[in-house]
Amino acid sequence: MDDPAGGSRPGALGAPVMDELEQLYQTTYTAVVRFLYRKVWDAERAEDLAQEVFVRALTHRPEKPRAWVFAVAANLARDEARAAVRRKRHLTLLKGDPVAQPTIEPAPDSVVEHDERIAAVHEALRTLTARDREILLLWDAGLSYPEIADHTGLALGAVGTTLARARRRLVEAHDRQHAIKGSHAAHS
Amino acid sequence: MRHIPEEELHAYLDQGLSRSQCVEIESHLAVCPFCQSARDGIAALRDRTTALLARLAPPRGFPPAFEVLRRRAALEASARRRRTHRAAWAASLVAALGLGWTANYLMMSRPTGPVVVTRPAITETSTPPAVAPAVLRSQAQTTTSTKPLARRTQPARRPPVARRQPAPTPVESLPVVPAPTLELTSINVPPADFDLEFDGMWRTLSWDGAQAEAGDKLPHIDGLPVVQVQLQAGKPGKQPLMVVAQQLASGEVIRTIEGPTNDVSQLLARRAMSDPEGRPASRSDSSRSRRAQDHPETMAMQRGDRMLVITGALPPDSLLAMIRRLNAEMRSK
Repeated sequence: MDDPAGGSRPGALGAPVMDELEQLYQTTYTAVVRFLYRKVWDAERAEDLAQEVFVRALTHRPEKPRAWVFAVAANLARDEARAAVRRKRHLTLLKGDPVAQPTIEPAPDSVVEHDERIAAVHEALRTLTARDREILLLWDAGLSYPEIADHTGLALGAVGTTLARARRRLVEAHDRQHAIKGSHAAHS
Repeated sequence: MRHIPEEELHAYLDQGLSRSQCVEIESHLAVCPFCQSARDGIAALRDRTTALLARLAPPRGFPPAFEVLRRRAALEASARRRRTHRAAWAASLVAALGLGWTANYLMMSRPTGPVVVTRPAITETSTPPAVAPAVLRSQAQTTTSTKPLARRTQPARRPPVARRQPAPTPVESLPVVPAPTLELTSINVPPADFDLEFDGMWRTLSWDGAQAEAGDKLPHIDGLPVVQVQLQAGKPGKQPLMVVAQQLASGEVIRTIEGPTNDVSQLLARRAMSDPEGRPASRSDSSRSRRAQDHPETMAMQRGDRMLVITGALPPDSLLAMIRRLNAEMRSK
């Protein structure tokens, strides 16, 4: 590969031609960040990882860049999760030292409610199996059924079945939590 | 009437079916109120899922320009190439040194050309070597004590600092040596260690004087001018610790060290010492040289209780390339 980093080639009239990866970047970057965010739960880290994914794509120039980008994003998120577990263990070891706790200002009700709504979805998503969650997130990121099948190794016909189950379980888990929270609020 | 399965309705709404499947489903939906209701329910579930997941979107950031990522990819590719180049160079140097040392060790009667490499080590004992950290061992120690005395009688060979030998032999034309299993490695020495400390009874000798004293066992790379030869006398009857500094065409200096494993290891282990004879002229020549000085290469191999080390600021091209260049220069003279 002469230019692993690629580069905009001039078109017939001298105007730069946007290459395939650049187009993909323009149309998919936000979806990749969202996909990663739902795995690492850190917006800045998700953006860093998304950029890393596209830098790697520039180096490797994959044949099916869209599916490749999400596959690498999933791998990076997995590595990130492992690293987070290691960090957590390390922090647990250091936790013995008393640390002054910062004073927390009570948040306005609207902020609390917003956070609770997010937490409820987060929690509902966690109740899904890893496979169901992965397929649901890939679909939500905009991947087609064949791309999801490629990425996960599922048969094409099984993608619809898995998605049907994942959607139903997500909504059911969310509604269940909502009901539990409502009954707690009624008792208090 | 067969109703449409749930997963097919999901796939239909997700546009995950072929055109013919879609036509089939649409024609059924047109006449089946049950499946129409199921479709509406699945559409609502689908929208609900999308709405729930939308709550988990990160705060909207500003993606960097694609050009920024392009530059980053180019930089990373360049760094990767440099690392590969460096590793290839180190591998070729170690391989060439190992080949030369081993070949000389095993085939003492063969006259060598001006290209390769170090002269063999004298091994006066077959005692197993002391362990040197970070240096892998030769596993061919059975050869170490077989012919040391015979080798002492070899005529001394002069390096090209004074006289160049004609008819150079390229390294790749060396005969295939029944190679013992060698384990070679580069070793990490902190940068300050590049300036070797020559304490104790060190003597700086001329090439002829050093040869008179150490025989033809002075470690050096043929084809490179010798800048300095230093010897530290060992125990009586034992080959001394020898350090030969040679200058590359680029002005950079490399040192070839040969001696008892323990002595060589200790020499390398000392820090922040200076060369007793002052720094070679090349040391401040260029920023490239300085950069290389910051990260000198140090490679070692061991045979019996002797160790051969080469250390110094080295060019990024491979040793084989350097040897070929030297050969070409010598042939043209």
